[in-house]
Amino acid sequence: MIRLENLGKSFGSFDAVKEVSLDVPRGAFLVLVGPSGCGKSTMLRMLAGLETPSAGRIVFGEHTVSDGGQGWTIDPSRRNVGLVFQSYALWPHMTVAGNVDWPLKVKGLGKAERRQRIEEVLRLLGIDGLAGRYPNEISGGQQQRVAIARMIAPRPGILLFDEPLSNLDAKLRVEMRTELLRVHRATGATSVYVTHDQVEAMTMASHVAVLNNGRVEQFGPPAELVANPATAFVATFVGTPPANLVPVAALPEALAAGLPAEASAMYRPEELGIVAAPGPDSLAFDFAEASPVAGRTMVTGTSGDRRLTAVVDGAPALAVGDTVHFRLPPRPAVVFAASGERLK
Amino acid sequence: MTTTTLRQGLRLDGATLLKLGVLALVGVLIAAPLLRIVLDTLSPGAIVAWSEVTTGRLSRNLLWVPLGNTLILGVGVACGCVLIGGFLAWLVVMTDVPFRRTIGLMATLPFMIPSFATALAWGSLFRNSRVGGQSGFLEGLGLAIPDWLSWGMVPTLIVLIAHYYSLAFTVIAAALATVNSDLVEAAQIAGAKRSRILFGIVLPVALPAVVAGASLTFAGAVSNFAAPALLGLPVRMQTMATRLFGLIEVGQTARGYVVAILLIAISALFLWAGNAVVSGRRSYATITGKGGRAKRFVLGAARTPLFLLAALVCLLTTVVPVVILIASSLAPSSSALFSNWTLHYWTGASNPSFAQGQPGIFSNPFILSGTGMTLALGASVAVTTTLAGLLVAFVLARHGRGPLAGAINQLSFLPLLVPGIAFGAAYIALFGAPIGPFPALYGTFPLLVLAATAYLMPFAVQTGRAVIQQVSGDLDESARMTGASFPRRLAAITVPLASRGLAAGALIVFVKIMRDLSLVVLLFTPTTPLLSVLAYRYASEGFGQFANAITVVILVISIAATLLANRLQTKSQPWLKS
Repeated sequence: MIRLENLGKSFGSFDAVKEVSLDVPRGAFLVLVGPSGCGKSTMLRMLAGLETPSAGRIVFGEHTVSDGGQGWTIDPSRRNVGLVFQSYALWPHMTVAGNVDWPLKVKGLGKAERRQRIEEVLRLLGIDGLAGRYPNEISGGQQQRVAIARMIAPRPGILLFDEPLSNLDAKLRVEMRTELLRVHRATGATSVYVTHDQVEAMTMASHVAVLNNGRVEQFGPPAELVANPATAFVATFVGTPPANLVPVAALPEALAAGLPAEASAMYRPEELGIVAAPGPDSLAFDFAEASPVAGRTMVTGTSGDRRLTAVVDGAPALAVGDTVHFRLPPRPAVVFAASGERLK
Repeated sequence: MTTTTLRQGLRLDGATLLKLGVLALVGVLIAAPLLRIVLDTLSPGAIVAWSEVTTGRLSRNLLWVPLGNTLILGVGVACGCVLIGGFLAWLVVMTDVPFRRTIGLMATLPFMIPSFATALAWGSLFRNSRVGGQSGFLEGLGLAIPDWLSWGMVPTLIVLIAHYYSLAFTVIAAALATVNSDLVEAAQIAGAKRSRILFGIVLPVALPAVVAGASLTFAGAVSNFAAPALLGLPVRMQTMATRLFGLIEVGQTARGYVVAILLIAISALFLWAGNAVVSGRRSYATITGKGGRAKRFVLGAARTPLFLLAALVCLLTTVVPVVILIASSLAPSSSALFSNWTLHYWTGASNPSFAQGQPGIFSNPFILSGTGMTLALGASVAVTTTLAGLLVAFVLARHGRGPLAGAINQLSFLPLLVPGIAFGAAYIALFGAPIGPFPALYGTFPLLVLAATAYLMPFAVQTGRAVIQQVSGDLDESARMTGASFPRRLAAITVPLASRGLAAGALIVFVKIMRDLSLVVLLFTPTTPLLSVLAYRYASEGFGQFANAITVVILVISIAATLLANRLQTKSQPWLKS
């Protein structure tokens, strides 16, 4: 449904997006995730038609909608997309119903049809009681719902979301995640969702593209990213908590044997243990924090700027200032080269 | 238990006392003159003035014709200013026009040039020989200037628009800067055409600013005295401001006060109506600040023509009037502005064969004392308003609840609704005669200081508020947490933080006084000569060069002070950010 071919975008000499290629089927929920400045918003804006790519192509279904090589792009309004802005971009001089209505009016729908559609989407989002309010008279979560209602009202085939939950508080964010997935299913559209929050990516996506410095580090379903991270960046970016990366040089001798000296070893938090006394397979860290997680305990230690996190049953009571001994499994889950590439 | 209640009681009393004191201050400064002018017209001997002005035999000349002219000026200026100011604001904020910053800066300048300066410049260029005296530069070039372009409504309108459009520009540009480009892009995705986006999204969102710009410029135009006096009076075009001035000058004070009250009513009505349109449920404050970026309209082929148009507007309203004023203060004949330049009007000694023996302004002791008087007034008022504003702002910030605070708040912003010349009339009404043991203040320096302090109170309270907001609260509390004593906090936190804002506010007050004419034109007496009034007098007596030379002095002083204030303030102009 959405195919990107070697997509690139430069602003002057700065390459915001470089050679991105990926393909998702109709009905997919694609999440673009990465740290700020990784190029994910630029990609979304290119999908929306608000920016013209400087290289590569964007294909929706059978139609090429942007061609960077030839420098043209189809107007946003004729791409069959809807976009929820990070700022919501609600028109402050129109009521909730007016905001939903305007795009339909621009589309040229009849009055009766519009009224019916407004009612429908407001009910879908659970805000039918707010139709007569102005955007400044409703809460942040409600504004968010209005923005989504406005987007889906003209029934776009592709829904685009630009960090839509970043302005909400933590509890509301979790609620809206579910809400968004429900809307996604109800509309049957293909969604593209941009976020810097890997938890959102992991919980919502059917497909995830992890971006870093304008490139896709890895593209695949969420479970695949955690199970088989392709690069050191992905390994330390996804998962709750993310996996641990230890330079081979810092490993105990017994465990370092047979591993390339420059490489880094990845250990999953659930594979680490905590022991009372140092052993041949343990590493000593300064205790930093511990928190209960679903009946187990997540323990983090620091050593210089390195962090190590283990999820264990029944951790000893530790206080800041204590030394914590992490016991490592005999083999790392994955080994990455110094460049970040996966070795085996 | 008892001690705490006692203390609370005492503290409450302290606050109430303070509030009563401040209320008395703003009451005497602001409410009393306005009440007095109303009461004066209601006294048995004077109440007949109401019917004379509104329905009597002379009412057509006293009220209705000036009222018509005033409204034409108000509406015309408001429309012109919103069009020009709005156009420039749109260009600077939302498009990719070249030299946006320069245009943005230039567009704020005309408001710093006093309107009598622009009017004098217009006269130097366009006056024809109809009312005698020297003819202007264009007629000197051999062009025939029709009366309607030399005198009366059209030049007054043009001069006032050239002066006030920068007010509309500032208000509209600030509002457009908050129109998140997301709002426009959301409309683009909906498939709206450019014109539909402009009329459906951008204009409605900017509407409050447009209305505010219109009502502010309307109020400015109806209360302006200088332009209609210089360009309209010679052909007997009267506005309410000039009529009021004339009536009080000839001693018909009761009638003058009636006109003043009506003028206040009109100005206040429109400001109130503008406010009523804007407020209400649809508060247009844009929602949430996160996200959003500036994406500019691409002007394409229209880029250069639009830039040239904007540049022309800016040059004609800033550089050109100043150049004309300077040239004409050097040229013996305004019909030949750029020849035979002489410094006579600046430094020359009295010479009977030259300008009826008037010496140059720097050799004229009267003008020299006027300069000193004006500077002294500006400096005194800067100090008094800053102190008064700070006091009022402090009381409102600390004890801002209750009817007393409400009254203080309302009263201190009341002068915004009162045209300067009417305010001057009110001061004459109150202080023109002795009050009890106090002597009549008319013709004294303290009267000028009092009137100006009261007149600038709204501005001063705003400055005070900004300063207090900046300083009090978290910043002071975090210093208190360190255990710093009050004097130490004052020296290390409060004064350094507040001083720049206060100094900038005081400088702007100084400038406002320097270039004000409408407030002081009625309070002027030969014992209290002020530069702006002297310039006006010279101009109306036909000594254009002297008027222009004095105006150049005023301009130089006020521009220097404004630049200094801007530096101190590092004024935020959000629409200039890229």
